Amino acid sequence: MNPVDLKSVGAGFSELSFGSQAVFRAALHALSYPGRPVDMVHDAEVPTQGHAAAAVLLLALLDPDCRLWLSPALAGSDAAAWLRFHCGCVLVAEPAEAQFAWVAAGDEAPPFACFAQGSDSYPDQSTTCVLEVSGVVESTAELDPASWRLQGPGIRDLVSLRVEGLAPSTAATLLAERARNHATFPRGVDLFLASPRQIVGLPRTTRIALEG
Amino acid sequence: MFHAFDSHSASPHGERAQWMALLARAPMALLDPALGQHAHGAPRWLRPPETGLMMVQGRAGGTGERFNLGEVTVTRCALRLPAQRHEDAAVGVAYVLGRSHRHAQLAAVADALLQDPALKVSLDATLLAPLRAHLARESEARHVRAQSSKVEFFTVARQSGTNSEDEEDGA
Repeated sequence: MNPVDLKSVGAGFSELSFGSQAVFRAALHALSYPGRPVDMVHDAEVPTQGHAAAAVLLLALLDPDCRLWLSPALAGSDAAAWLRFHCGCVLVAEPAEAQFAWVAAGDEAPPFACFAQGSDSYPDQSTTCVLEVSGVVESTAELDPASWRLQGPGIRDLVSLRVEGLAPSTAATLLAERARNHATFPRGVDLFLASPRQIVGLPRTTRIALEG
Repeated sequence: MFHAFDSHSASPHGERAQWMALLARAPMALLDPALGQHAHGAPRWLRPPETGLMMVQGRAGGTGERFNLGEVTVTRCALRLPAQRHEDAAVGVAYVLGRSHRHAQLAAVADALLQDPALKVSLDATLLAPLRAHLARESEARHVRAQSSKVEFFTVARQSGTNSEDEEDGA
């Protein structure tokens, strides 16, 4: 990495272990309660590209053994340099080689089938995908036509989630992809939705349907 | 280990590598006073000092197969100097042998200051020149110490006929 890159790189967590453990706890919480938005509290100087919640989630999770795929808007940006500097992770060009993927808002997410699916013996080796959206709200309205109905482990009956910032066609594609992803269980891709401040965990066990 | 840095002067990139190699070996007694008030400001860490192990690799005879020589303790850090605008601030990086966080910090501060062409001229005189002299003296002293224990080995030619018995046994 050359010095020009370093000038644009911000600091990581001010207390490395406390900062990353707090974020890790939030990520565990998000995966334990799928569909529940979790606030990401942190003190890192996040890059200008990409949502802060997604950036700190990856900052806490990645290490030099991890392979990361970035969507076109993020690849080559200060976000890539920031993660490379602080985590030492390996950036890969092929989604299938990645253990983690970060898809920026506005970038089209590749089909989940493109990512590593893991194997029946090692389902943990699949990709964890962080997808940026502009907002996530746990909706309370009984029948909100745009919201998603989530069911599965970690959800008592049903959770309604309104995801903002996804075009209807993109959302429909995403849900169809998720259904196919669910069919290959125990293999499959785990998903995090990241708004600027919050994350929502959607592990591969969660079933999603459109309301109404 | 530092031979390559000390004996070649090349591109501007090489120049920075050279002063980083010098700073990594600088004794604190030289480093601390030369930096003045810069040594005592609160640094803005990009990466706070952290100590870890690095594998040193060698080549037999300098040209042979690569092998792992052993691990050394290395402390590294990266910091930003205080500046009006965030993007203008020079970033200093240091990797030093040992566990001294303070040494890594001062070496990184010096690295950042040396990237400013105006400061580089004065720092060259107050820090790098005495440092080069100090390292040259140290290396000379080590050379003299090693020379004092030098042993000359002579190959003694065998006298003919002394091992004739052995030859008969073998025949």
